[in-house]
Amino acid sequence: MAAKRYGFAIDTRRCIGCSTCVVGCKLENYVPDGTFWNRVLTDGGAREDTPAGNYPNLSMVQFTVNCQHCENPACVKVCPVGATYKDPETGVVRQDYDKCIGCRMCMAACPYTGVRSFNWEEPSYSVEVRYGGQDVPTHQKHVVEKCTMCWHRLARGENPACVDICPARARFWGDLDDPESEVSKLVHDREYMQLLPEKGTKPSVYYLV
Amino acid sequence: MSENVQAASAAGAQVARSGEGRDVAAGRGAGNAGRGSGGQVAAASAKRASQGGRGLTVGIAVGAVLTVAGIALWVMQLTGGMVQTGMRNLDSWGAYITMFMFFVGLSAGGLIISSVPKAFGMKGFGGISKVAVWTSICCTVAAIAFVVVDLGQPLRLWELFAYSNLGSPLMWDIIVLFVYLVLSVVYLWAQVRHEAGKVSAAALRVVSVVALVCAVLVHSVTAWIFGLQQAHEFWHTALLGPWFVSSALVCGTALVLVVCVALRAAGYLKLEQANVARLAKMLGAFVVVDLYFFGCDLLTSAFPGGSGAEVVGMLVSGPLAPFFWAEVVLCVLAAVVCFVPPLRKNGLVVAALVAAILAIFCKRVQLLVGGFQIPNLDMPGAMTEHTVTNWQAGMAGAYEGLVYAPTMLEVGVVLGVLGLACLLLFAGLKFLPLRPAEDEAAQ
Repeated sequence: MAAKRYGFAIDTRRCIGCSTCVVGCKLENYVPDGTFWNRVLTDGGAREDTPAGNYPNLSMVQFTVNCQHCENPACVKVCPVGATYKDPETGVVRQDYDKCIGCRMCMAACPYTGVRSFNWEEPSYSVEVRYGGQDVPTHQKHVVEKCTMCWHRLARGENPACVDICPARARFWGDLDDPESEVSKLVHDREYMQLLPEKGTKPSVYYLV
Repeated sequence: MSENVQAASAAGAQVARSGEGRDVAAGRGAGNAGRGSGGQVAAASAKRASQGGRGLTVGIAVGAVLTVAGIALWVMQLTGGMVQTGMRNLDSWGAYITMFMFFVGLSAGGLIISSVPKAFGMKGFGGISKVAVWTSICCTVAAIAFVVVDLGQPLRLWELFAYSNLGSPLMWDIIVLFVYLVLSVVYLWAQVRHEAGKVSAAALRVVSVVALVCAVLVHSVTAWIFGLQQAHEFWHTALLGPWFVSSALVCGTALVLVVCVALRAAGYLKLEQANVARLAKMLGAFVVVDLYFFGCDLLTSAFPGGSGAEVVGMLVSGPLAPFFWAEVVLCVLAAVVCFVPPLRKNGLVVAALVAAILAIFCKRVQLLVGGFQIPNLDMPGAMTEHTVTNWQAGMAGAYEGLVYAPTMLEVGVVLGVLGLACLLLFAGLKFLPLRPAEDEAAQ
């Protein structure tokens, strides 16, 4: 069978900006303190979760932004040791913590501000108990990491955690190369936008508008 | 090159007065030591210099102390975490990569000044060739050191050779830098052997051509680390490669001339005033070309009025304006001194050289911080202490001033690497046969 192209479709008309996917991601992946792989960005007022304009002419759209798992990823090209690479079977952009030399070239190359994070210190946690997916790779100091598309869950045939946990059912995940998949149909039927399409990275995250 | 013998000692004294503090003091000791005896072979002079030269010894000691302190701070950075630096996720490079760019540039001048005349069979710049190449080598080592201290996992450096991704501009740069370093050493060695009659002029010329090509490549490839990234509007320009070469010529030539004028003042080597003037005129031309490139880039960015205009605004009147205007003013001052014959007096020339070096440093800061100063996604979102340097101010507040500022630890490590460069420079002057063979013969 031909290679897949896993991606997300996120319905911005359903998204309420509740950050449940943000926290769900952090819990599932045991992401250290001070780091988020997925964040809610507010296209609206000057601060988070505030609208633009004056009442009653207000506008606000919430974008949940994680690694865009680009078809043409800028990060993969620049990594000197191949620690960040695109999985040929699924199109998922992956990060090998054991290989990363911590040069942060990928962070400079990625146009999507803030989706890549560096562990600036020894990973620490506010809770003493080890929570989250038990097969999540151990986080390391001084390496770059980012959304894995919940690789460990995909291996078990499950959805990424952010998709399952979304209370507004605004997040969809699947194979964008399969015309019968839910994401493909949504992208086909609905109007959508992508982040920074002019950068030529061909992101695999579609924001339905 | 017997005319070197007549080099104006009065002019040298003038420079000494103009205050090249440590360099002059350091060199003078060595000079005295060298002057005390006569010999034909350059190697012998090194041996003699190593016997005396208290100034150089002090320089070496200071360099060594700084290096050791820098290593201690680097170990602190690695054990305590890079959270102690000013760098964060949205400004993931800082002082180290700025200095890396700066030192790659500084390394250019020596090799180019030394190799261009040999490669094209033109008249050289007197006996400064070997000192010039040694300056290059010291700067290259410092540049490599700046990359190493920036790494989160320096113990995994071996992976660069085991898992090389040859498509990465960073990998190209590592390869070219190493080749450049090795070639510079070979070139220096070839010059020494040539003077001893062991390497033919033709062979030396071949080495100089290869070294010259590699010098141009090393600056272009360093530029491509930034210039090939579509993520940052400010960096993504085809001009960046040629522009890095021109900036490298400016600060590299200036550095070599500063070192040589200081060494002349100290009596370490002879340098004809005519050669200083020729080099100063060349420097003036380089400065003007560099400014011209900057002008072209600004105009091309600003004219369409889109996101490029934002970049120009950031430089001209935004947070980076102090660095931008400092660069422009320093460049203009340096060019004026270099081009107006009555102004080409030693004190002023040295001031112009320092101005040119500082101007290029300001440019490096603009390039690095400026690259991170305009985020592609500037929508407000959750911020933590790892997001951006000034994270408490929120997304908009973090970008009001300079998005990045180094911490004391970073400044300390930078000083440590500078110490390493000084240590190498002074140790080379003391122990290697870098003095022009003709000067030795004349004494």
